[in-house]
Amino acid sequence: MNILVAIKQVPDPNALRFDASGNFAPNTARVMNEYDQYAVEEAIQIKERTGQGEITVVAIGPSGAKDALTRALSMGADQAALLTTSEPLDTLQVAQLLAAEARAGSYDLLLVGQETSDGGSGNVGPQLAALLDLPLVSNVVGLEIEADGTLVLQREVEDGRHVVDVRPPAVICALTGLNEPRSPSLKGIMAARKKPVVEKPAGAPAAADGQVSWGALRAEQRAVKGTIIQETDADTAARRVVELLRERKLI
Amino acid sequence: MSGVLVVIETSAGELRPASLEALAAARALADSGPLTALVLGSGIAAVASDVAARGVDRTLYVDAPVLERYTTDAYARPIEAALATLSPRVVLFGGTTAGRDLGPFLAARAGVNCLSDVTSLRWDAAALVATRPVFQGKMLTEVRYTSSSTAFAVIRAGVFAAPESAGSGTAEPLDVTLSATDLRVNLREVTTPPTGAANLADAEVVVVGGRGLGSKEAFDSLLGDLADAFDAPLGATRAVTDLGWRPHYEQIGQTGKTIKPKLYIGVGVSGAVQHLVGMQGSETVVVINRDADAPLFKLAAIGVVGDLNEIVPALAREVRAARG
Repeated sequence: MNILVAIKQVPDPNALRFDASGNFAPNTARVMNEYDQYAVEEAIQIKERTGQGEITVVAIGPSGAKDALTRALSMGADQAALLTTSEPLDTLQVAQLLAAEARAGSYDLLLVGQETSDGGSGNVGPQLAALLDLPLVSNVVGLEIEADGTLVLQREVEDGRHVVDVRPPAVICALTGLNEPRSPSLKGIMAARKKPVVEKPAGAPAAADGQVSWGALRAEQRAVKGTIIQETDADTAARRVVELLRERKLI
Repeated sequence: MSGVLVVIETSAGELRPASLEALAAARALADSGPLTALVLGSGIAAVASDVAARGVDRTLYVDAPVLERYTTDAYARPIEAALATLSPRVVLFGGTTAGRDLGPFLAARAGVNCLSDVTSLRWDAAALVATRPVFQGKMLTEVRYTSSSTAFAVIRAGVFAAPESAGSGTAEPLDVTLSATDLRVNLREVTTPPTGAANLADAEVVVVGGRGLGSKEAFDSLLGDLADAFDAPLGATRAVTDLGWRPHYEQIGQTGKTIKPKLYIGVGVSGAVQHLVGMQGSETVVVINRDADAPLFKLAAIGVVGDLNEIVPALAREVRAARG
């Protein structure tokens, strides 16, 4: 099974701090988007289970995004491609670039993370499926392959879990709980150095008629003017909370 | 091209609240032309009639066994049929797992991007402008869509208030051929959580724990005690259920339950968007966390910054004393 995994390098959500103008420090640490890690890990587990196939990871971004690709190679992916751009792209433009990559190869499975920790729209997986006219299965927390190659997937949705099946090729969006991403071994890190990484310009974005553009970032207005208790001992804090709950007739 | 089409999702014959909330978002878009609801599902004639009485100008429905539960191909067909018939200016989806698929999927098929996870929607001359949270809820941005082609948007769940039903109205069946053979994803099985956990949705007080509790043992003992003091059920974040500390049916958030209790108490919960979506309708929010920057504090009427290992037992004590 040849697998294409699309990943994104994002600012580390644990390190992100915004100032009053909606900016964050340019040297904020970057990491592979969390849900993409489940996608990469699943691809590697599929390859280990089936004993065949190649895993290609692709990212779109500035040159620094190579770090996330290197990590994926160290985990066990076979080759990587970086489409370099410093232009801001909307999700559909990202999906169009990824679709072109997918068409250039012959993939049985396209794996993406369900959403990114920066934009968080969850758009790219569905858009990729639409552009390539492939079946889409999102919110995936379990994946099995039957003897005849049918994919059986567990989706986590509002009413519980849906078990679905689909014939490849398909677009699968990975959620937490799908697996536990491995840390690269020393052997994996060494092997990654010899794996091909193709770097090429992403090219001008496609005509932008249906584009969605972002404005400046701003902090959310405090919806509720709350009472914040801090630097107090636990007993005093607890009494104060109960007092406030009493005032609101909640106790 | 005019009007707003709102896709109303059902599952096993029941309306998804988030879809009804999208009706409110549609009504807030003044001067858009007629408002049409498209109800999809199986065994839904009565439900369609209920939707027809919620302030819409026209209600269409497609009732077919393959629509009992969402799969992309099955839902895409009738929606595209409605788009072809109505040529609306805007199509809205509720922010369910299905809506978050269908919005961008159908928009891409129509050659445009989708405004996803929006909390407000308005016209600014010919541009459709929306607000949406980004960076896991830490910041907001305005997004603009300026194309004259049909606009697609997915409305975040729990933000708008669903319009009430005035009883029943007239809904028209939409004729769409749905052949099971050309649906590429096949639903084999649905596992639903045990009904014992249903009291989370109705509870007046809910005590919720996050990863900050540190361990299953700490979660069970500290929060179990606090929940007991309030005589309330326990809820958990996605992080906690993924770690296996609590069962999935206690999960509150985008892929779990949505709750709107009188009192929500979040302990060791940072407030990621995934979770906020499931509890932001709570009337009073109490937050206990070691991290003063935790996004959940933005919703807090009462917040305590400190060590939850000390605060939680103290609070349980005080609550028991107060309740007598």
